[in-house]
Amino acid sequence: MRFVLRRLGFFVVTLWAAITLNFFIPRLMPGNPAEAMMARYHGRINPQALHALEIAFGVKAHQSLISEYFDYLGNVFRGRFGISLTFFPDPVMHDVLQALPWTLVLVGVTTVLAFFLGTLIGLVGAWRRGGLMDSAMPPIFVITSAFPYFWIAGIAIWLFSLKLGWLPHGGGYDPIDTPAWTWHFAHDAFVHSILPALTILVTAIGGWILTMRNNTISVLTEDYIRMARAKGLSPQRIMWTYAGRNAILPNLTGFAMSLGFVVAGAILVEYVFNYPGVGYMFLSSVTNEDYALMQGLFLLIVVAVLTAILAADVATAFLDPRTRDVR
Amino acid sequence: MSASSVGATDQLATPPAGPAPMVADARQGRGRDLWRAVSRSKKAAVGVLLLLFFGVLAVIPGQIAPYSPTAKIFPPGLPPSRQHWLGTTTLGQDIYSQLIWGTRLSLLIALAVGAVATILAVLVGVSAGYLGGATDGFLSLVTDVILVLPIFPLIIVIAAYEKNAGFLTVVVVLGVLGWSYGARQLRSQTLSLRRRDFLESARVRGERSSYVILHEILPTMTSLIMATFLGSAIYAVLTAAGLQFIGLGDPNSQSWGTMLYWAQSNDALLAGMPLWAIAPGVCVALLGAAFALLNYAFDEISSPALRVRKLDRARLPKAEPSPEPAKPAAEEHAPVLRVENLTVAYATDRAPVVAVDHVDLELARGEFLAIVGESGCGKSTLLYAIARLLGAPMAGEIVGGRVIFQGQDLVLLEEKRLRAVRWRNLSVVMQSAMNALNPVLTVAEQMRDACRAHSTWSKAEIDVRSREVLRLVSIDPVHLHSYPHQLSGGMRQRAMIAMALLFTPDLVIMDEPTSALDVVAQRSLMVQIKELQEQLGFAVIFVTHDMSLVRHFSDRLLVMYAGQVAELSKTSELFDRPLHPYSQGLLAAFPSLHGPKERLLGIPGSPPNLANPPGGCRFAPRCPHVEPRCTAAEVPLYSVNGSLVRCVLQEDAS
Repeated sequence: MRFVLRRLGFFVVTLWAAITLNFFIPRLMPGNPAEAMMARYHGRINPQALHALEIAFGVKAHQSLISEYFDYLGNVFRGRFGISLTFFPDPVMHDVLQALPWTLVLVGVTTVLAFFLGTLIGLVGAWRRGGLMDSAMPPIFVITSAFPYFWIAGIAIWLFSLKLGWLPHGGGYDPIDTPAWTWHFAHDAFVHSILPALTILVTAIGGWILTMRNNTISVLTEDYIRMARAKGLSPQRIMWTYAGRNAILPNLTGFAMSLGFVVAGAILVEYVFNYPGVGYMFLSSVTNEDYALMQGLFLLIVVAVLTAILAADVATAFLDPRTRDVR
Repeated sequence: MSASSVGATDQLATPPAGPAPMVADARQGRGRDLWRAVSRSKKAAVGVLLLLFFGVLAVIPGQIAPYSPTAKIFPPGLPPSRQHWLGTTTLGQDIYSQLIWGTRLSLLIALAVGAVATILAVLVGVSAGYLGGATDGFLSLVTDVILVLPIFPLIIVIAAYEKNAGFLTVVVVLGVLGWSYGARQLRSQTLSLRRRDFLESARVRGERSSYVILHEILPTMTSLIMATFLGSAIYAVLTAAGLQFIGLGDPNSQSWGTMLYWAQSNDALLAGMPLWAIAPGVCVALLGAAFALLNYAFDEISSPALRVRKLDRARLPKAEPSPEPAKPAAEEHAPVLRVENLTVAYATDRAPVVAVDHVDLELARGEFLAIVGESGCGKSTLLYAIARLLGAPMAGEIVGGRVIFQGQDLVLLEEKRLRAVRWRNLSVVMQSAMNALNPVLTVAEQMRDACRAHSTWSKAEIDVRSREVLRLVSIDPVHLHSYPHQLSGGMRQRAMIAMALLFTPDLVIMDEPTSALDVVAQRSLMVQIKELQEQLGFAVIFVTHDMSLVRHFSDRLLVMYAGQVAELSKTSELFDRPLHPYSQGLLAAFPSLHGPKERLLGIPGSPPNLANPPGGCRFAPRCPHVEPRCTAAEVPLYSVNGSLVRCVLQEDAS
């Protein structure tokens, strides 16, 4: 419990750091883009939109930086990120919440799937040490992990949708459909998610395989594995409960660390597929200079990553009795 | 499981190891060894070749590319041809030339980010680990926060305000945010180095911190520093390409990412110019893979377990006599264990090293045999060879001889039948229970595992038996539901002994089971082991480097030296009249508890390197009684009054 509380504290500190960065980056960069932006839009857009920018940047006339900063913090905690210029006059929060489910399902499911599949393949491969799978794995996945996600995405679209015509080439659903809780729409959304999901899976899985393989190999040198062999346990039992249970622990920490990488890849995959998720919206907001929306989405991404890390911490506490004990 | 402990006969035809046997141990990580190791790795060689290739392209693109990358002088959208290997763009530029010119920026970004991130990681990681205290606390927190901040979205935010991310922005942002993973590892490495002797001694000598860090710490972390550099370089290659691809790079710069951006905005794949989009992606991947392969090679060098070494039997010192057919099953008073000619070799990068050399021994029912010797003499290897437990981390293999246990040759026994013998008839107690007990299972679960593997007991029966054996070693059965880390060192060791007694086996093999305990706990555990042995009647092979420990407990003593039996006799006999000069030296090295105070003599020197053992008597270089005949020929075991001893001085007595 102490462990989880400590990690919760870390969550808050990191979130605070991200919000603070979000506030200071536009103001402290060369030329103070926040001020410049406000000046540029002044008189050109309506007062409501201008107010949105004020909230997004925390810029207010005749206020000190410190009080602007605390105003900004207050707004963020009340979920007030201003108003989107792209989807005017929607509040940013509204648009963000609309994009979120798409990403949660696509990126969430594929990331978890890649983690479990990769961990499994890495474990089994390392277990059959020196076998075909074990010797072929490292070079293959070292190379597949080096391919950019967006490039794989482009090739996948070209091959499977344009050349072969098996799957739709982009979007989250058929434009003639409207989102609704029907079987028809669910099927449509599923079909649209196959290619982006496979893209993320193929590029993300290599890292998990390699790290799990290396963890397993070092766990296999532990005395408790030899002890398990001495006890005459079945190879399956040793592989799962003695090697696997222990080798996955550092991989869970690794999960937290590599998540940023997967998120980066997923943003680009959504972009290439025009997928109506957070990543696509994030990049569109950059192109449209919709800074209120961009900042809101950035914070959302940070929260999502931190939540996943917290989940990995809870899983670690669950799987590793040593972390559970109060130190 | 046991590919590593395969029997003696079925692998005789192993072909010699491949042409490039990988690398010597570089655990020390000292520069020169490391480079020699890298130069022998195939993965590293491919990585270096790729980097050199791209390096040449980056330095002299003008000499290699046939055309200017920007000149719009050709018909647009040409397919690949002799003049234009990859075709032309919609603006009539030569794609092949663009690709070559694009190398420079991608490589520069990778190297610059790698350098910035590595310098920061070393600064932060080493200071945190070296200074410790509040500084460490603060730096570690900062490191962890930056580690989990998603860098890519952040750099997009920055690039959005700046309109595009030029070379400098990319390098600064990726370098400033990309150091945290390396810093974390360097910190823990520094922490573990701090406790090592050579640093202590440097500090005692009064060296300045800067000197200690530069001359003592950094050289040992070469491989970790390289890994940090390579890791951030890979990240930089991919991230920069991503940024350029979405148009946040400088659209007029020559880079692979920018090519992909233009290819995408012109629908190159659809418009019949697929190579425009494919080739830059392949280049990004190849550059990333070059760094990744090098990184992987360094990984393999710093953790030797990642490499598979095959035992090269063709290079064993001499041919082993083929094993005779096993004798018919045991008679009435047969020994519980008979080891014949047992030979174990380790695979290394050079010739195999024979760590146990033709060892013979017999163990009577209920007998207590102690094996002593300095570390590196093959005691533990012999022990684990008998139990057929060789394999990682000791990648040894039995290359000859037999282990007859209950009438069966364990060396030839197939894995499935071997499993049936294990624990029921032959159990093992290991040196450190902290490492030998599975940290994520309770004591009860680990007992249950053993019971389920060998019995049809119900859950309740297993529980009853587990409590019973815990009481045997005087542990309160409430600790059944404890995890190993919740028990004290002595309790863990007892719990492991309890586990070994679940089925009251005929033979319990013990590898220094008391060495992790303090002297008082050692004695009480020894007394308990002896009591249990007398009460339950199992035989014991007990390995220790502390002769005095077993004086009053063992029936016979086997002194091992350099993989061979030096002396084997009754314990009392050996303590009274040690015949081998090595036994005499070992005895002199330990003070007698009751006798008069004597000077500790010890034995000068250390055991020989088994890769290249001295000819003749292996102890000769350290022996106070050495004579010319000692080194003339191999010394056989002489039988003297019921003792066996490998010393020419006993030739006449035998």
